[in-house]
Order: sequence, then C-alpha cells, then structure tokens
Amino acid sequence: MEENKKLMCNRCGVELEMHKAYFSYLDHSFNTEVQRCPSCGQVFIPESLAKGKMTQVEVSIEDK
Amino acid sequence: MDDMKRRIRCDCLEKEAAPCVSACPFHFDIREFIPRVERGAFNLAYRFYTNAVAFPRIVAALCDERCREKCPRGESGGAVELKRLEQAAVAYATRTAPNSYNMPAKDGRIAVIGGGVSGLACALRLANKKYDVTLYEKESRIGGHLWDILSPDIFMKDIEEQFSREKYRLLTDCEVTELEEIKKEYDAVYVATGKGGERFGLGCEGAEDVAAAGEGIFIGGSLLGAAAVEAIAHGLRASALIEGYIKTGNMKSAEPHTPTKIKLNLNGVEARESVPPQPDGAYTKEEAMAEAARCLKCRCDSCIRACDMMAYFQKFPKLIEEEVHITINPGTLDGNGTVATRLISTCNQCGLCGKVCPEEIDVGKFMRDSHRAMREKNAMPWAFHEFWLRDMEFARSDRAAFFYAPPSEPTRYLFFPGCQMGGSNPEYVLRSYRLLRERLPGTAIRLDCCGAPALWSGDVKIYEKICEETAELWRKLGEPEFIFGCPTCREMMREALPQIKGRMAGDIFRELGVKLSGGGEIALFDPCAARNFPETLQNVRDMLTESGYSVRELEYGKELAKCCSWGGQMSIANPPYAKWLVDKRISEKPLPYLVYCTNCRDIFAEAGKPVRHLFDLVFDIGGWEDRPPTYSKRRRNRELVKESLMKELLNEDMPREKLAALTMSEETEAKLHREKILEDDLAAVIAFCEKTGRKLLDPESGHYTGYCETGNMTCWVEYSPEGEGYRVHNAYSHRMKIELEEVWHGRKQKADV
Repeated sequence: MEENKKLMCNRCGVELEMHKAYFSYLDHSFNTEVQRCPSCGQVFIPESLAKGKMTQVEVSIEDK
Repeated sequence: MDDMKRRIRCDCLEKEAAPCVSACPFHFDIREFIPRVERGAFNLAYRFYTNAVAFPRIVAALCDERCREKCPRGESGGAVELKRLEQAAVAYATRTAPNSYNMPAKDGRIAVIGGGVSGLACALRLANKKYDVTLYEKESRIGGHLWDILSPDIFMKDIEEQFSREKYRLLTDCEVTELEEIKKEYDAVYVATGKGGERFGLGCEGAEDVAAAGEGIFIGGSLLGAAAVEAIAHGLRASALIEGYIKTGNMKSAEPHTPTKIKLNLNGVEARESVPPQPDGAYTKEEAMAEAARCLKCRCDSCIRACDMMAYFQKFPKLIEEEVHITINPGTLDGNGTVATRLISTCNQCGLCGKVCPEEIDVGKFMRDSHRAMREKNAMPWAFHEFWLRDMEFARSDRAAFFYAPPSEPTRYLFFPGCQMGGSNPEYVLRSYRLLRERLPGTAIRLDCCGAPALWSGDVKIYEKICEETAELWRKLGEPEFIFGCPTCREMMREALPQIKGRMAGDIFRELGVKLSGGGEIALFDPCAARNFPETLQNVRDMLTESGYSVRELEYGKELAKCCSWGGQMSIANPPYAKWLVDKRISEKPLPYLVYCTNCRDIFAEAGKPVRHLFDLVFDIGGWEDRPPTYSKRRRNRELVKESLMKELLNEDMPREKLAALTMSEETEAKLHREKILEDDLAAVIAFCEKTGRKLLDPESGHYTGYCETGNMTCWVEYSPEGEGYRVHNAYSHRMKIELEEVWHGRKQKADV
C-alpha cells in the first residue's frame, strides 16, 4: 500500500487525518501522530511505519 | 544458588592461568605477551615484559625457564622458546627508556636493606609509585651476587635505565646492624640482605616467599633461598605487600601459590618444530615472530570452540553468567541494564557445552533455568516465544491432536511422531504408522506435542502439565514402549519422564529390515537430540551403509552433534544469529545432508541445502531439492494427518472449520511465511473487520485495510472480496499494542483506561 494514499474510514465515510495515537509495549507507552479517523478514531499504521520505526523501538525496548 | 549457576562461578576453568604463567615466578601473562611478538610489535612486547619483571635485561639473561617443562607444545614440536622471545623483545625494542609519570609524592617512608636484585626490584617499584625510598647497601656497589653470575654491562645498564626517571636515596657502604633504629625512622622495611645475609633475628626460616616478619617488616629474596630471578619476583611482591600495609595497616605474607587447574583440549593441535635460532643462540625478528606463532595461547576453551553461540558473541560461561545474573536481578528499579535478555533467548539449550566441558558445566541448562526465572518475573518479551507457543497450542488442539489404539489387541507400542513431523510432511506420519501397524500389531498412535516449546521458553507449568498428561496416557495404556518420530520428543522424555522407555521409529525400521531407496555419497547430520542415544546413531549409519550410501561424517557428529538452530526456537529473538548459524551448518560439507529430524530437514531445506529425511529414503518420497512447507501449510498438514487417520482408522470425517477462503499471490504467501504471519490469523483479522465494520477503504483500488490483535501481535491485512472469500493483497504485523482506541470510539473515558 502506498503510504501517502488517501484512505476513508469505512464506518464514518470520512478521510483520515493526522492525529495523536497511543501505543504500548512491555510496560512502556508512547504516542505519535498517525492517520486516524477524525470521527471514530480508527487508526491506520502503514507497513513502512510498522516495519521501520516501530520495529526499531520494539527491539530497543526488548534490549533495554 | 542454582546448581549450574554455582558450577559456572566455582568450577569453570576459563580464568585459570596457562601452565606457563602458573609456573613463572612473576606470573607473567605470556598469553598477552606472545601476540605482541607474533605481530612484530617489539616495543610493546618489551614494555609489557618490563612491567612484569622490572629488570628485563637481567631476567631475560638469567631466567631458568620453569615454563618450559609445563608447555603443552612440548608434546608437539618442542616447548615454545619463551626465553629467546623475551631476549628478542629486549634486543629489538627501540624505545626502552622507562615512562616518567608526574605523580605527587606519597606518604610513606620505606627502607630497603640490601642492594641486591630483590632489594632493587622492591625499591624500584615503590619509587615508581612515588614513595620515599632509602636503599641501604653494605658494599660500595649495588647488584649483590649479580656480580658473580652476569656481566655488569648487562645488569648495571638495566638497573641504571630502570631507575633513570625515579628518585630514591642510595646509601652504599652503609651496613645496617640494628633493625630497631631503622624501624623508628621508617614506616616499613624490606629485609633483602641476600644469601647468608643478616636476618636480624627475624625467624621465618621455613618461608619460601616474601613473609611478614614483624610490624612493618618484610623479608624475602635470596635470604630465603631464592635464585636471582625469583628474588626479583620477591622484591616486586614485597613492594605490593608494603604498599598494602601502608594503606591499610594490614601485615600480610605473600599468598601461597595455587597451581593452575587448567584442563586443555589439545585435539587438532598439529606438531610444529620450534624455530632454530642463529648460531649465537638469538632469534632474528622474523624468527622470533615465527616462534611466537607456535604458542597455543593455552586456555580452557572447549566450550567456546564447540558452541557457536559463545563463539559468535565471544562470551565465555563466566561472562554469560554475570550478564544473565544482572539481567534477572537488575540493579535499578526501572530494570535498566538487562543486557542478556535476548542472549538468554538465543541459546539453543542443546547441551553441547556440557558435553565438551572438562567439568561438565552445561550452560544450556543454566540458560533454560534463567529463561524460567525471567518468565516467572514476566521480564522476557512475549514476542520471542509466542509464535511457537501458539503453534504448540494448535498442535494440541482438536484440529491436530489425535489418539487411536487398535481395539482388538493390547497396546504394546505407542507411536509418538511429534507435532512437527506431520507438519513437515503428512506422509512421514501416515506411512510410518501404516508400516508399524502392519508389522507390530498393538501399536497405538498419539498426535501431540511433547512440550518442548514450553520448556524452551521457560513456561514450566505448561510443560509439567503436558508431561503429566503424557505420563497419564502411558500408564492408562499399560505402559507401552514409545516409538518416537522426533529425536527432540525423545530427549525431552528422557529427561522429564525417564520411566517411559522408547526408541526412534528409525531404530524399529532397521530392526524390521527396512531397506532405503537410492544411494550415493551423503553427509550425515545427526540431530543434537540424538547425542545421548548411541544405538540410534549407529543404526542410522548401518542402514545407510547397508543400502549402498557412502556416509561422510561431519566434524561435530554423533555424541558431539550440533544443533541445526531449531533448539530453543531462538530465531525470532535473534534473526541475524539464527541466519549465521544455519549458513554455518549447511556449509560444513558441500555434500547433500541426510538427517533424521524433520526440524533439521526443514531448517536446511529452507536455506537451500540439498537435504532429505531418513523417512524420505524409507518410503521413497521427496527429493533432495524439496523446499519445506510454509507455516500456514504446516497447520494444514497437521489437520490433514488427523483427517486421514480418522478416515482410515475410524471411517469418520473430521469436522471442517468454517473459515473464509483466502487467495493470494505466491509472493504474498512467501512474505507471510518469512514474517511468521499465519493464514488463520489473516482470516481472523478479516472476520473481525467484516463483523465490526472497522476497516479503511482505499477508494482508488477498492481495497480494505484493517487490523486486530492475534495473540499479543497486532496484525494488519489489506484485502478485497473475491468470489466467496477474499483476496489478500498484503499483510504485516507489529508487537506494539495500539492503545486508547476505546476512548476515541467513545466507549470509555480516558480515566477508565
């Protein structure tokens, strides 16, 4: 999936926008801006984020 | 303290001195000295030597080479010519002037009585440390008995050079007759009056090393019978004892020397004759370098030579134990510094280290116990093992687990193929059982997992429960003999359920006179789990040879078989190491491998190695180049085994699970396998998205994207409806959990979460 593609929330029928979302892993929590539905909050994590930055953070927490 | 932890701490011989170092009066670290000479760094070698012996020219000339008879090289080409190497370091160093350190003077006045080598060595070291040193010599010249045994051109040059940057007071023609007077003036005194010299009534007749002879008074050197070189060593030890006394007030004699306990593995040491010196007895630079290269740099290293994990990370058991200890017991409240979390999960737990260790220290067992401790503290990342624990759960679920005992006769045998065998190839299980039933009436079958994933991941409660269930089944069936398909199951039960007797299916096949198809030259890769079963190791060899195969052995085979990388299921915790390890294994011989563990087969086949399982030859199926099934296919294979057995034995149909049909390209399928994402997981995500409507639409392509948690993992799928089911365009996963969605959805307030 292309990362800059416009995505619509299936339930709300609106385009996703950049909003803060919260994440946690192994008792650590953090937040960052990702694409979300402005109405219901449905999140979209592109593969580039999951396999890039997120993996880096996961590995560094595991090794902390 | 756990047994293995204590054993690593107390019994591991890695830190034991090399035999030469132990024999040397200076305990000179020859293992560190030799590499400097070997690479021609004579200045560094000289400096290192000087730091250890104080007077390099004197010691290099007079050394009586106690190391020689202890050198293990003696057995294979002659002891290393260490004395000549030391002389070479002295001869070829171009910067020999001592370093001068600008340090403030220290409190502490010390008198050294006797200007022979021992007194000079003591005075030099204390002067180096900026103590106020006075040396009393009754003669008009220093050097003591060196005048009788060595040219002053050598020793006076050495003494002058070593003292050239230091201040000390030298009183020649000054015989001390009353120790009491001296004691009043100084904080400490070293009495080194030489052979037959004045003892001042201090006693210490039997002492062989520097002795504490009264408050602030130490005695040593030739006075105690030491030869010149040893007297220098006494002087150096006396300086350390004096400094200790001045700092702490504690009077101590030199510690008695404990001979090294080192045990050496000299396998593979090739004989190399020592390099002959020039006619004058000296080495040229090149000769010295060549001779240094003969040194074995002795240390007890059997474990790190055999274990690839220790070699890869360059960690000996003691360091591993230290790192694991601070990981399990972190020194800070927030748990920082847990350096070995991943390392604990990287060990194959195969036990080879314990097999090769002269003290039988099994670091794998220590790692297993550590794993357990980490799991109990909930400190081991779930991601390292969840995939395999879910796999085990599947193998034990209604979808794959199965039991059948022929009703007409008592159960004499129980075929236990293990959970991976049917996953790898259903035919292995189905054909084996057909053959066993036909030839050994009264053979039941149990499709289940032995619990290895739980043991490896430290989930001891789950493991114990599985073992109890297995033992219960065994008892109920009248304690039949087990016929194992997987060597790991057998090894697990040998340890946990020794009351259960069993053999490998291959052993039975041999007994039944089964012939193998094909022939040719192969390398036999023994599974690590077969190490403790010599009859199995032999049976496989006999079967292959009798069927016309020419069998080549690997360096580590039979009782020292190495793990293919499957053990401990560590590839998720440490993918780069796992890849390195597999590459190493498959490169050990350029021949096709014959294996008799399906895990070895699948690991090697996945890496592209021509490989077949023993059962491929028994049933004449599969080819050398066959690739293993994907993880999703393995699940289907297990279901297929159960389904086939139900049909064949009970004439029953297995109820099908109603899952949406998924289609995808081969590339997507391969990617899912690489990333260990199962089609079952994708089906669950799509079902969730469709049920809740929580999905995103790409208006351009018409594809939906959605996610849900499968286990602890968050799995994303891009899909579109196709026919009765769905086409999967892409999928990926992450370990982080997405939080606070409930708040966005208005189902909860932030304060509730």
